[in-house]
Amino acid sequence: MAFEPKILAFSCNWCSYAAADLAGASRMQYPANLRIVRVMCSGMVHPNLVMEAFSKGADGVMVLGCHPGECHYLDGNIKAQARLAVVEEMLDAYGLEPERFRLAWCSSAEAERFVEVVTEMTEAVRGLGPNPFRPTRPEDAQEVA
Amino acid sequence: MTLTEVREVSGQAGDFTVRLLEHPRYVDMDKCIACGECARKCPKKVDDEYNQGLGKRKAIYVKYPQAVPLKYQIDPENCIYLKNRKCGACVQACPAGAIDFNQKPREKTVRVGSMILTPGLKPFDPAGIRTWGYDVFPNVITSLELERYLSVSGPTEGRLARPSDGRPVKRMAFLQCVGSRDLNKAGHGYCSGVCCMYALKEAMIAKDHEPDLDVSIFFVDMRTHGKDFERYYNRAKEAGVKFRRCRVHSLEPAEQNGGVYLRYITDRGKQVGAEYDLVVLSVGLETPPSAAELAGRCKVGLNQNLFAERGGFQPVQAKGRPGMFVSGAFAGPHDIPQSVTEASAAAAAASLPLARVRHSLTREKRFPPERDVRGEEPRVGVFVCHCGNNIAGVIDVEELAAYAAKLPKVAHVERNLFTCSQDTQELLKKTIQEQSLNRIVVAACTPRTHEPLFKETLKASGLNENLLDMANIRNQGSWVHQAEPEKATEKAKDLVRMSVAKVALLTPAPPLTVEVKQSALVVGGGLAGLVSAHGLAEMGYPVHLVELTSRLGGSALHLYQTWRGEPVEGKLDSIIRKVTSHPLITVHLNSKVSGAEGFVGNFLSTIQGPQGETQVEHGVGIMAVGGRAHKPGEYGYGEHRRVFTALEFDKLHTLGDSRVRGGKTFVFIQCVGSREPERPYCSRVCCTHSVQAAIELKEQDPTRKVFILYRDIRTYGQREEVYRRAREAGVVFINYDMHEKPRLRLDNPDMVEVLVWDHVLHEPFRIPTDVLILATAIVPNDLNKELARIYKLPVDADGFLQEAHAKLRPVDFATDGLFLAGLAHYPKPVEETVTQAQAAMARAATVLAKTRIDLDSIKARVIEERCDGCALCVDVCPYHAITLEEVQGEPGRKLVRIEAAKCKGCGCCQATCPKLGVEVAGFTYEQLASQVAAALA
Amino acid sequence: MSQEMIGAVMVVGGGIAGMQAALDLADGGYYVYLVERSGAIGGAMAQLDKTFPTNDCSM
Repeated sequence: MAFEPKILAFSCNWCSYAAADLAGASRMQYPANLRIVRVMCSGMVHPNLVMEAFSKGADGVMVLGCHPGECHYLDGNIKAQARLAVVEEMLDAYGLEPERFRLAWCSSAEAERFVEVVTEMTEAVRGLGPNPFRPTRPEDAQEVA
Repeated sequence: MTLTEVREVSGQAGDFTVRLLEHPRYVDMDKCIACGECARKCPKKVDDEYNQGLGKRKAIYVKYPQAVPLKYQIDPENCIYLKNRKCGACVQACPAGAIDFNQKPREKTVRVGSMILTPGLKPFDPAGIRTWGYDVFPNVITSLELERYLSVSGPTEGRLARPSDGRPVKRMAFLQCVGSRDLNKAGHGYCSGVCCMYALKEAMIAKDHEPDLDVSIFFVDMRTHGKDFERYYNRAKEAGVKFRRCRVHSLEPAEQNGGVYLRYITDRGKQVGAEYDLVVLSVGLETPPSAAELAGRCKVGLNQNLFAERGGFQPVQAKGRPGMFVSGAFAGPHDIPQSVTEASAAAAAASLPLARVRHSLTREKRFPPERDVRGEEPRVGVFVCHCGNNIAGVIDVEELAAYAAKLPKVAHVERNLFTCSQDTQELLKKTIQEQSLNRIVVAACTPRTHEPLFKETLKASGLNENLLDMANIRNQGSWVHQAEPEKATEKAKDLVRMSVAKVALLTPAPPLTVEVKQSALVVGGGLAGLVSAHGLAEMGYPVHLVELTSRLGGSALHLYQTWRGEPVEGKLDSIIRKVTSHPLITVHLNSKVSGAEGFVGNFLSTIQGPQGETQVEHGVGIMAVGGRAHKPGEYGYGEHRRVFTALEFDKLHTLGDSRVRGGKTFVFIQCVGSREPERPYCSRVCCTHSVQAAIELKEQDPTRKVFILYRDIRTYGQREEVYRRAREAGVVFINYDMHEKPRLRLDNPDMVEVLVWDHVLHEPFRIPTDVLILATAIVPNDLNKELARIYKLPVDADGFLQEAHAKLRPVDFATDGLFLAGLAHYPKPVEETVTQAQAAMARAATVLAKTRIDLDSIKARVIEERCDGCALCVDVCPYHAITLEEVQGEPGRKLVRIEAAKCKGCGCCQATCPKLGVEVAGFTYEQLASQVAAALA
Repeated sequence: MSQEMIGAVMVVGGGIAGMQAALDLADGGYYVYLVERSGAIGGAMAQLDKTFPTNDCSM
């Protein structure tokens, strides 16, 4: 069985989560590797939370917010961008590739963009291989068996 | 009520009886779950009017994916069954049994106190008029079609391709004023007011998609008179969009390549031509026939442009028809912010006469008392929805349910065909009570649409509404992984596991409510302040009106007529009298606000007046401190006795000053101080004002020579009528450019010599002028900045107050309970000021109508043991809801405090805090981390 | 005024203006009938490419 990455996305309620819903309503298809954690604003995502996801074995983490200027809370997304810059440094310290983390913007109408971003990310992470911190999972055990 | 029409209206203001006709939808709204199975099976394809006929829809359809209500409908014109009693594919396909071909048109009669008519607009149809070649050349499209082509949800998914052959578009041209400002071809004399902006927007979006795209806009006048519109125009110029001032006189097929060839005359008088791949007609707005019919049935008068008749001081009142109000594009060609503002104004005006019977027909919902679940171990109930076949058709729901039952803390698992259906809500309630569940997970569709429904059910069963989480296994599960049922099932398990982990950590949050002080503060005693203060007082709310000067009236004191020619003075006097004599209004003259604290429903402001300071409590505040006329430092102003600003000229004109009375040659210079690098906005009112004044000068003495030197004439909307009359009266309009401003010779005290480049004769033109009138900018009041500081409101780059959302919340501030109106927001004429003041009053009334208001429970709170008072969260809070305060009795120890009423729950504080000392209810670090951990378990 | 007054308002047209008027009236304490000819509210604005976060209607 090929490596199936597990990708976590923190999606803001107003834009990217809505885009994900719309992708469903439009029956667009994307890889089933994504797990979305709904947040009210991308500005709510603490850098430690992202790092916690990596330490628990997420192969990729995304933070998806509204386009600059369209944040429901004035500029939470801009704050997210500034604050999450530190994640790259931390990844470096952990010895993880910067491509495992991505911050992207996506409006509530941009289902297509959502699908594109998620698909790209999945493929990119698939190419990187598993997160070395990834604990052994039942499905991996099956692989060996 | 959808698919419903007004048939007949009887009665009078306060008590109308309206007969309605509801057309059958053939789909039971209560049963339809909008899964779309019916449309997939429907064999009949129809042109999709939502996509401007560029795509297809089925005979059973929703207008667009985000439609409200999101319920399918059958188009009887195209349904095979309704036509021939054959087919019925949708009946077979519908998992909910919602199709009902037996529905019949139904009549209904309702009684209402007022009516608001907003039947909307229709884009002008350029078909049949040869000049524009719309139905002749495939590569000539309308701006609305382009809008759909540019949209990712449109027929080409956002790619720009030539309709004729699908080849990429390299050169594109917009033709402005198609169906506007054109009595000959279109029969519309008015300016549609929106086309310049949307052409700019579309040009910019198109260039975004395709950076090398060559875009030209052929225009008569660029009318970017709205807030921040001029900046957008400037950006478009910088982005390389080409602007050509001319009407294109003919379109021909290009000799090769299938493009379109345009012939036009440049502003230097040269005839040229060029070829384009795509020509976009910027079509105007008009009143659709159905709206004219509605007007007839409601006995609302329309003017020659087929817009509703109304006056400048009662801008949303249908003229001569008490109890009927109009707004939106039915009232005139308006853009979105103007429509939204008018809508709120209409709500205010329509409800004002009914203030006595407010709340007489509305009811509040009641819920059983909440069970206290603190101290109980979490007992999670998981409800797995099949959504007919939408979920169950892909995901193995039995396996999912069995999996969920084994998760820790899960006490009960159940599957439902439709968890959202009405009867299931009853079942849910019973199960919650019988099984004493205290946390609920619904694995179904998206919380964005269904969370409110399940929250109600929780409340109805005696549980706090916040003890719920939804696992989105449909929109983000079965629907997006249709071909991978196993993976979709695995993902659904993860999502349920994440929800169960989170829900176990959720805590009941008592609904937050705050008391509303039933009174208002209005800052500014100009027209906007007067109108809103008077309206709120008439609604029964006490008002404090604060005016800096010794006199009410503001800038309107210097105006003498509206663009329709209605005198201002009498109306202004009358409203000042009503305000000063109103028992519920306290007027504070020579006063200003010097300090304020509090939040929606509970503001406490300090008014500094001649007698010292007074403090007033108020539930809402309206900021209407006005603006002022710019005093120019150019064109000989202040140096020459025959150079005046427009307002000074009005005064001299009215007083019969000899320089004006005896004057033979008058020159108006437009844009003095506006649209300049230091003031890059249009002052909106000056073109109309100069044109009107010019007409009067000509009417008084037709032998006078009157010149208007302009950059673009911006007599937007129906004001175009005034411009047309001026040209007919012989007023001469001469265009000038920013880099070729008119020059003056001022050495003769009895005459000003004006020199301007003449584009017709191509030489400098010399005008010996008796009176030179400078159409000066409207600039913001310095008070804006002071108010901004006191109430923590945003001010834009030009110094005007910044509304919460330029389009959708044009009179609100981001801070709840505070509103704005008048020149403090942006330059605007009398009728728009009155509209905005009424809108602010309607918005304020939505707060004051309640004695207590519920606050959203998603709020940040401080965890005092962890907070070390570093205050990093104070700066990031976009709502200024966090303050740093010393702990009482512990000198030196500081903690942050959060004003719940100001907090909107964005969580920027939570993500900033290095100590995890602030958290947002329902989205705490621990709760989010539990989801992360569960996802990766 | 002796005439009976009805504490309800009818808004004809479910475009952006109609929706805003209906919301303000409902929040202001009046019963609102929002009457729309077509099958869904939203009006002309829903056709514009640049849409903003979904406007939910109170109805």
